Amino acid sequence: MGYRMDRTEWKAVFDELGKTYRLFAPVRKIGEGRFTDVDVIRYDFVEDPDEIVWDERSDYSFKDSLIPLSETMFFFTEDQVKEASIDERPVIVFLRPCDLNAVKRLDQMYMDNGPDNDWFYERRRNKISFALMGCDRACENSFCVDMGANKSDEYAFSIDMEGDGFVSDVKDEKFVKAFADHAGSEQAVEPHYITESEYHVERPEDVPLSIFNDEMWDEYTRRCINCGRCNFVCPTCTCFTTQDVFYTDNGRVGERRRVNASCMVDGYTDVAGGLQFRKTNGERMRFKVLHKVYDFRKRFGYDMCVGCGRCDSVCPEYISFANCINKLNRRVEELEAEK
Amino acid sequence: MDTSIRDIDKKKFKKYAFRYSKERGETAARIRIPGGHIEYENLERIAKIAEKYGNGTIHVSLRQGVEVPGIPLEKMEDVKAELQPIIDSMNINQDNPGEGYSASGTRNVMACIGKRVCPFGCYDTTALAQRIEKAIFPHDLHVKVAMTGCSNDCAKVRMHDFGIIGMTEPQYNKGRCVNCGACVKWCQKRSVGALEVVNGKIKRDPKKCVGCGVCVAYCPTRAWSRSKEHYFRLTLLGRTGKKNPRLAEDYMKWVDEDSIVKIIKNSYDYCEKYISPEAPDRKEHIGYIVDRTGFEEFEKYILRDVELGEKVEKNPRLYWGGKHYDRW
Amino acid sequence: MSKNEYLPFSSKLQDLIKHNDAEWTFRFTYVGPCKPGQFFMVSVPKVGESPISVSGIGEDYVDLTIRKVGKVTDWLFENMKPGDGLFLRGPYGNGFDPEMFADGELIIVAGGSAVSPIRGVVQYLCTLPDASDKHVITGFKNPDEILFRDDLKVWKDHVDLTVTVDGAPEGYEGNIGMVTKYIPLLEVKDIKKCKAIVVGPPPMIKFSIIELVKRGFDEENVWISDSRRMCCGMGKCGHCRINSKYVCIDGPVFKFTEHRALID
Repeated sequence: MGYRMDRTEWKAVFDELGKTYRLFAPVRKIGEGRFTDVDVIRYDFVEDPDEIVWDERSDYSFKDSLIPLSETMFFFTEDQVKEASIDERPVIVFLRPCDLNAVKRLDQMYMDNGPDNDWFYERRRNKISFALMGCDRACENSFCVDMGANKSDEYAFSIDMEGDGFVSDVKDEKFVKAFADHAGSEQAVEPHYITESEYHVERPEDVPLSIFNDEMWDEYTRRCINCGRCNFVCPTCTCFTTQDVFYTDNGRVGERRRVNASCMVDGYTDVAGGLQFRKTNGERMRFKVLHKVYDFRKRFGYDMCVGCGRCDSVCPEYISFANCINKLNRRVEELEAEK
Repeated sequence: MDTSIRDIDKKKFKKYAFRYSKERGETAARIRIPGGHIEYENLERIAKIAEKYGNGTIHVSLRQGVEVPGIPLEKMEDVKAELQPIIDSMNINQDNPGEGYSASGTRNVMACIGKRVCPFGCYDTTALAQRIEKAIFPHDLHVKVAMTGCSNDCAKVRMHDFGIIGMTEPQYNKGRCVNCGACVKWCQKRSVGALEVVNGKIKRDPKKCVGCGVCVAYCPTRAWSRSKEHYFRLTLLGRTGKKNPRLAEDYMKWVDEDSIVKIIKNSYDYCEKYISPEAPDRKEHIGYIVDRTGFEEFEKYILRDVELGEKVEKNPRLYWGGKHYDRW
Repeated sequence: MSKNEYLPFSSKLQDLIKHNDAEWTFRFTYVGPCKPGQFFMVSVPKVGESPISVSGIGEDYVDLTIRKVGKVTDWLFENMKPGDGLFLRGPYGNGFDPEMFADGELIIVAGGSAVSPIRGVVQYLCTLPDASDKHVITGFKNPDEILFRDDLKVWKDHVDLTVTVDGAPEGYEGNIGMVTKYIPLLEVKDIKKCKAIVVGPPPMIKFSIIELVKRGFDEENVWISDSRRMCCGMGKCGHCRINSKYVCIDGPVFKFTEHRALID
């Protein structure tokens, strides 16, 4: 069902939804960026539709809603293990097509890799509906079109700005009433999407074994500072590390939590006893890049990267992930030609 | 040739920021550039003056101004006319339009490039330099003010009467911290090592923290962000010179911009009252005056009408060191 | 909602066998399916979790042979005594199917604490009517570090067992030398059809396989067991991934030819 709303009507729909759902959307955090008086756009719960940032990509993705940067799993008392509780109210997450495509990747890892579901992921996932924010222009450094992630129809409802108002395509029955009650008129609506990103990438279909030790990665050993920003902004990175702590004032009580992990950051491969794999940043870059555009596909049949371009924009060393994919492709072609 | 130029009031032209040159009959025009920031049109105007009246060269001064040397004294009035559009467009306070810079005692207010460009800059140094310039210039008293964006102190503010160092109070959002270790590592490497990991989260030692913002700059998750307020460290009465060159001492930490501007302005009344009548050309570093009157008297003056924020940590008593070449 | 697999179950320490100062076998109460080569996450609330390979499987217990090398294992060594309770998760990973190796010749090469994953396999072999065509080489750093001494005494009556140490004080009467030294000495009838399991530190695996191949071994007949950092044990946390494989769910047991294409 499609609807057209002016600003007031959209606000009425939004407020109506807000009675039942918590609304999680990209917002501008004034002055919370990396540099003085620079903002950051990241996700948070909103109460007013005007808080939502429409004209820019969020610096950090929606994925906090499913895998918070830091999440308590269990509380430990002297003789009890108790699962940490979460807010039980359902959530609507507002997100772009690239990110909605990323949800599929997160589901793949947390719900469909190995025999067991991830309980902590699942309990959040079950509460979430997705509202697709359409795209009217390509984001900085984006290559979503080439990754096939520039559109998605896996949404509960869509929301796009058109002229002075908004249009929505509502797919999930449970949201129809809110729109039908407040929207000005009905019309057929197709969510907006772009057909040309900023960058083009070409991915190799297959890679020879020799690519793993190829000298193409050496450049990143020199350039990369293994800060992990690329992983933390990525909507598809899923890795986490668990930490156990006991509260210092009372050693008998503590918790187990998990935090987002980065395969670029020191310590990611360390095992007790001192063994470490992938010591150089070039090796870590290779591990990450190949996962995003090759290894994941080999396992699940499609590429992990959605081409949102956040990793390029956040890199303090001006390393372009998109360009690295193209370099990889050229190198693979060279190696094949040599054969 | 107009021979009246041989009889010229040197004290007056020096006051108006023309230098007494060792080359008889010549001067150099000293141009203020508060905060060291200048539009290209004004640089072009300066270049024109150098071409037309000077010897074709421009000296970039140590206080971020420029000097155009090799100007014949008789061309001073022409040069003043050409300086006027520069003074106007840079919005420099002036007592009498057309007479050039109205004073030279209070020196050009210096600043590093600050947050407009530098990733570590904690505030807009250029804007604050211009604000302070507006507040204290023109004045004949010899006062030096410098500011720097962060605790790195690239502007070497501790060699000035008033040194202003930008600070931010790091704000920690525990829920966004993944214990990646970047802040701890870089605070150790690039700053003072005020951070440690406790129970998988970061603990900041506020006593040790210098508010440089390195943790914020290196945090990959925005667990660290900057305080909404811009804070400063104010250092007092450093100086170079023949008698007792010395570095400034810390006076306040976590002080606000308005208080700093007031403190600097207030210091002029103190100087007017206590400057030595013997001082040549009324030129005496404030520090030497304070050495005579004691710091308490100075502080009485500078804190007039100043309302310090709750966060301010004030050094109750300042002791300066430095070399004493006048005491053997 | 599915079951919370991160929630550990409680278990009891039945027995403790101290091989030396740094390697003890903890016998924990456990009833359920389990295979040699699989691993459990030993879960110490407020301290952490550690993946430990199963070294023995009984009716109502599993043996976990643990080396004292980090926060969690230090805690176990310093705090656990028989009768104490503890938490476990698992078993995880694919493990070995010992029956696969019942027929035909087999070479097992195991170094140090990597004897754990093959202990169950050898115990199974010892139940066969004739295991004389099963060759087992176990290598340890020095005589102090020899594990499962009682087992070794039993094993040597059933299989062709070689126990060696890298180095030993003067007067030591056993074999001295790396495991690779003993591979060429094994009497194998049909090298092309012989199977092999090689477990231990990565360099040991590498050089053992070189020795096997030198003898004409078919690489397709070699299995190895790998280990990586693990947080979840169930294919979620990502730490143990190598290329498109997750050691915790696709391994830790791999065919050598498959594992060879996995590069860290």
